Amino acid sequence: MSASADNELVARAVSGQDTAAFGELVRRHQSHVRNFLRKLAGDYALADDLAQDCFMHAWDKLQTYSGRGSFIGWLLKVAYTTFLQSKRKSRRYAQILESAGHVADQESRSTVLPTEEVTDLDKYLAVLSEEERAIMVMSYACGLSHREIGDATDMPVGTVKSVIFRGKQKIRNSFDIKDHKHG
Amino acid sequence: MTSKIINMAEKIKDAEDRLLEAMFDSKPLADDGFSARVVQKVNRQIWFRRLTLPVAALIGGAIAFKPLAGLVTALANFSSLIPQDLVSGAASSIPQFQTVVLGAILLAVGLLSMRLLEE
Repeated sequence: MSASADNELVARAVSGQDTAAFGELVRRHQSHVRNFLRKLAGDYALADDLAQDCFMHAWDKLQTYSGRGSFIGWLLKVAYTTFLQSKRKSRRYAQILESAGHVADQESRSTVLPTEEVTDLDKYLAVLSEEERAIMVMSYACGLSHREIGDATDMPVGTVKSVIFRGKQKIRNSFDIKDHKHG
Repeated sequence: MTSKIINMAEKIKDAEDRLLEAMFDSKPLADDGFSARVVQKVNRQIWFRRLTLPVAALIGGAIAFKPLAGLVTALANFSSLIPQDLVSGAASSIPQFQTVVLGAILLAVGLLSMRLLEE
């Protein structure tokens, strides 16, 4: 997946409102974005819905992509923002239900995968905070550089490094990571 | 130079990093019509946005038609009260009065159309 081809597709999509070019961008990057959101949300159906929302937001904001840094880095920033917005919305919804005296349906808010096999990776991700999870996934699953992660999360590179360090330490302290099932 | 050193430092990974990479690695997901669904949604959104303004203008026009017609009638009645020599005086004091009014209307319509096209 070359960066110049991505940039060319972005230019076509922005200048001519070319949805076919945008479709090609979606086809190229959907796997990364969906895998990122699946690891973050822990719920496959929710993650795929969020991925659709993410690409809709990306279409709206495509002209803001400057070409500086990789397109997937920019896309994961949109995905992360979409995830955080959805989290905020569901939290607000739960608060409204609580204040109205309803008990929110635990099952609908659940982020575990009852039907899927729980892998070691799921267990490792569970010990991390939301922010650590996002940064670790961006680094180890998506292969973004610390600078790209910093851009995606609006954090200084030093903070990104310390979050990764903390995340690794948490995983190390909780598990013996030499023996694991692939995620 | 500094950024090159930073990149090099990032590339030097220890065994634990490689293990974590292998652990976080997941199979590529098949598209299964995902991109087609997104493009369909985008196309729908484009059409929705294109149609919103004309439809809103039509609905607004339909709602405002009756009161506007009443206003025009009232203005027409009011204009009959203005002395004729005052109207003709205004027209003669500004040369090519009709052309100026027409030009102003065309300018307003042109600006509005430009804005619509930009949107």
